Amino acid sequence: MTHQYEVVYIFDSALEEPAITEKLERFHSLIRQDGVEAPTIDQWGKRTLAFPIRKRDTGYYVVAKFETDPATLPEFERAIKLDDGVLRHLVVVNEGAQPVPVTAVKSEEEDDE
Amino acid sequence: MKRAAKTCAICESGVRVVDFKDERTLQRFLTERGKILPSRLSGTCARHQRQVSTAIKRARELALLPYIKGHVG
Repeated sequence: MTHQYEVVYIFDSALEEPAITEKLERFHSLIRQDGVEAPTIDQWGKRTLAFPIRKRDTGYYVVAKFETDPATLPEFERAIKLDDGVLRHLVVVNEGAQPVPVTAVKSEEEDDE
Repeated sequence: MKRAAKTCAICESGVRVVDFKDERTLQRFLTERGKILPSRLSGTCARHQRQVSTAIKRARELALLPYIKGHVG
């Protein structure tokens, strides 16, 4: 059983872009599953933080949406926490795009008849 | 005399789920010091007030919004 998730990373802005992509690939390999689409990655780039984190004023933001089994998440989050290049991260259930239930559409059609 | 009922800004904009990454919209539901505005003042409906408050708390965790605005040190 898979679920939709969304993760936001704040990388240290001192990191080079290839290093960030390499880290992303390493994290995402932990949540890879057969028959599931690869994570969609949205790089926001460098942004000013609202408050300093670990004495850094800017961070490199990356948002990724993915689908995976909940059992893979603890190992995924552990890997992120151990990485010094990630200032902060947040994993949440993606509620943004909920699939339309098929039954609801059908009942509407019945009403029309 | 009854006061005119305030309408929920989020219901009117037609958004289903409040996004914690959209800090510009969330900014409207903060006081000038960065506290969450009560629904009594913002006119938000109960469902959207709950969504707004969790979204603001998530945005704070990600340093998109400050915990306290104008705080130095």
